[in-house]
Amino acid sequence: MTRIIDLTSKYGVYATRLLAECGHDVIRVEPRSGDAVRRMPPFLGNVVDLEHGAYHQFFNANKRSFSAALNTEAGQDLFSDFVRCADAIVLCESAPVDATVIAAANPRAVVVSIEEQEDSDLLAAARSGLLSLVGYPDGMPLLLGGQVENCAIGLYAAVATGAALHHQNNTGAGQTIRVSARSALEAMMEQSVITFSSEGRIIKRRGFRGEITAASSAFAAADGFWMLSVIAAGKVWDDFVDWVQDPELSADPSLADEAQRHAKRELIAARLDAWSLRHPKAELIAEAQRRHIPASPVATVLEICEDEQLIARGYLLEEQRAEAAPVRVPRGAIATPRGASYRRAPTLGQHNGEILAELGYSAAEHEMLMSVGAL
Amino acid sequence: MSQEAYPLTGVRVLDFTHVLAGPFCTRLLADFGADVVKVESVLRPDRLGATLPKPDFGGRRDRTATFLSLNRSKRSIAINLKSDEGRRLAVQLASVADVVVENFSSRVMERLGLGYENLSRDNRGLVYMSMSGYGHTGPRRHGTSMNMTLQAYSGLMMATGREGDLPMSIANSWNDYIGGFHACLAAVNALSERASTGTGRQIDLSQFECSVSTLGPLLLASSVNQALPKKWGNRSPAAAPQGVYRCAGKDEWCAITVGGNAQWRALVQAAGLSEYAQDPELARFIGRQRRHDEIDRAIETWTTQLSAVDVESRLLNLGIPARRMRRAVDLVESGAETGAFRTLDEQNGWSSLVTGVPFSFSRELPDPIRAPRLGEHSAAVLQEWLGLSGHAGVEPAVADVRERVPG
Repeated sequence: MTRIIDLTSKYGVYATRLLAECGHDVIRVEPRSGDAVRRMPPFLGNVVDLEHGAYHQFFNANKRSFSAALNTEAGQDLFSDFVRCADAIVLCESAPVDATVIAAANPRAVVVSIEEQEDSDLLAAARSGLLSLVGYPDGMPLLLGGQVENCAIGLYAAVATGAALHHQNNTGAGQTIRVSARSALEAMMEQSVITFSSEGRIIKRRGFRGEITAASSAFAAADGFWMLSVIAAGKVWDDFVDWVQDPELSADPSLADEAQRHAKRELIAARLDAWSLRHPKAELIAEAQRRHIPASPVATVLEICEDEQLIARGYLLEEQRAEAAPVRVPRGAIATPRGASYRRAPTLGQHNGEILAELGYSAAEHEMLMSVGAL
Repeated sequence: MSQEAYPLTGVRVLDFTHVLAGPFCTRLLADFGADVVKVESVLRPDRLGATLPKPDFGGRRDRTATFLSLNRSKRSIAINLKSDEGRRLAVQLASVADVVVENFSSRVMERLGLGYENLSRDNRGLVYMSMSGYGHTGPRRHGTSMNMTLQAYSGLMMATGREGDLPMSIANSWNDYIGGFHACLAAVNALSERASTGTGRQIDLSQFECSVSTLGPLLLASSVNQALPKKWGNRSPAAAPQGVYRCAGKDEWCAITVGGNAQWRALVQAAGLSEYAQDPELARFIGRQRRHDEIDRAIETWTTQLSAVDVESRLLNLGIPARRMRRAVDLVESGAETGAFRTLDEQNGWSSLVTGVPFSFSRELPDPIRAPRLGEHSAAVLQEWLGLSGHAGVEPAVADVRERVPG
């Protein structure tokens, strides 16, 4: 089994979660005080401690935890054991170890170093341009919810690590990978940057309206919001106006062309706003799907907890937790199609004993490492 | 360095995907050295990017600019999958492929005779990546989805912004990219597993699940607490004040994160917030969290008098973390300093901007290659993959895709 040492911050922790979903043995090496991801709110059951953070519980599921004082001599010696037996080490710049030293100590390892560069998620989003794409027109630009920008950085790190592990598998060769968090976020600006460079047009934030597909927006129905996205292909529009029966939209045959729809998208949205308000959202979504036009609820994460599709596919699993009755927990987007099992996130240092044994330390030596302050 | 150095050298990817999530997945595979062959048809070209380049653009015009970026480093074969010969050829190509990637909705590939069961019968090592909207099982397996419905249905639009805000989207295809990343990792991992097991597998990825997973912490918190988590907007539980403040000029903004008491004192001085200089409550982190609304108004009174560039540079000079909001234009104009974008496909003194990769490998990765013309590599792929010099299922190459797109 591939062994991966995980020293990532919130910027890379989704990478190592996905590598664990892929079936790898991911060991999170943490300071004895617990790493910063454990401290991020919200907290499960509103228990504010190092074990109940929702970010920790999600991102560290399926991993093992080893806690040690890496700033002590004995702790550094222990870490060199990890380096020696690791297939990959994924770390962020803020980790108290040096990627160059690690790579020199174990040339067959894949060493992935994520360069963080900014002081906060917000500054990183502002610097990358992503902030300019979220919010209401001319209103305050906003971060995406749930810190999903950080997932994009983690995803770039994850695919790079996966490819390098494949290479290692074939050739035995390791390598050092540097992931720039700044460039990763800028790369997510692809459509805006290429639109500007080819057309000279600056894409701006549009509230709940879509930008890429002309007739795409959240609409207020009689009983709340729903989402509709009329895909670009020609015949879909004909079918759509046949459904909506709006005199203005039906009267303009040029709207069969996506480019024309882009030019007149404000008019289209205004007509559809009025139409949508007259119907309940479930009815609108069902009719759109019947016509193979993409449509969905505008859901909250609380509503998604009971989603029948996620339950049917085994993405949401039932888990007995100490807090209460069984709760549904997300298994993961790669673990689900792989049919992989789910193990809840480890408590701080939960696997110290078994990992020390795997590294060849005796029970007596475990005690000595404890007494010298390394654990 | 020799070709063999790349992680996916020798891996043949037969790419049936279109628009964005699928092509992004296969572009990543190409970035790691895979031979990605895009299956296209004159009758059904990839519709990515509807709009035209500027009238004075003298560079390549046979594809849209976004297509050129999403499909660089791939080859193109033109096959009409609606013909028997075309389908037979696709099956033959799949018999020597390592990876098939498709993002059709459920049943389409089966109807074409290109389902996993059919293709894997003679190719046990095949890794077959299906990446439909909801997956090929479950009650919504036939449902259609796109980036915007993924943004909406995953919970992202309702998790973005402040308490009480209306739903909020991001003005790009964010969730298509999210699906593409997951598909790439799952496919590469299946290739690694094949090295030890000898057999490939089908992966029935659901882009909906990928999008939901990026909100996994909030989903888990909702599930356990049976309540929606707090929406932070631009604020942070770990720094106060933090926000995006309006500056002088149209749609000019600067993001500021005050990381501690010393930075707060420096900000008070820089912004001339003399009424706060002696306020003991605001000297402390928790006090600033409590009075965040009031502080924001005071900061904005100052920032609206200055340009965003000015606010940013003044604060950075004092060691206060600040970044003005940049836009695509800023990235293009400062593009040389980062690795995210580069130019390709130079002709007549014009070139196209494409996205690169935001990481470096010590053993190098292949340089990006310009995107193919439709059917450009039909003959070469037939020869290299199948040893054929021609096939009835191949369509002639096309000079300009856009001229043939109806509507």
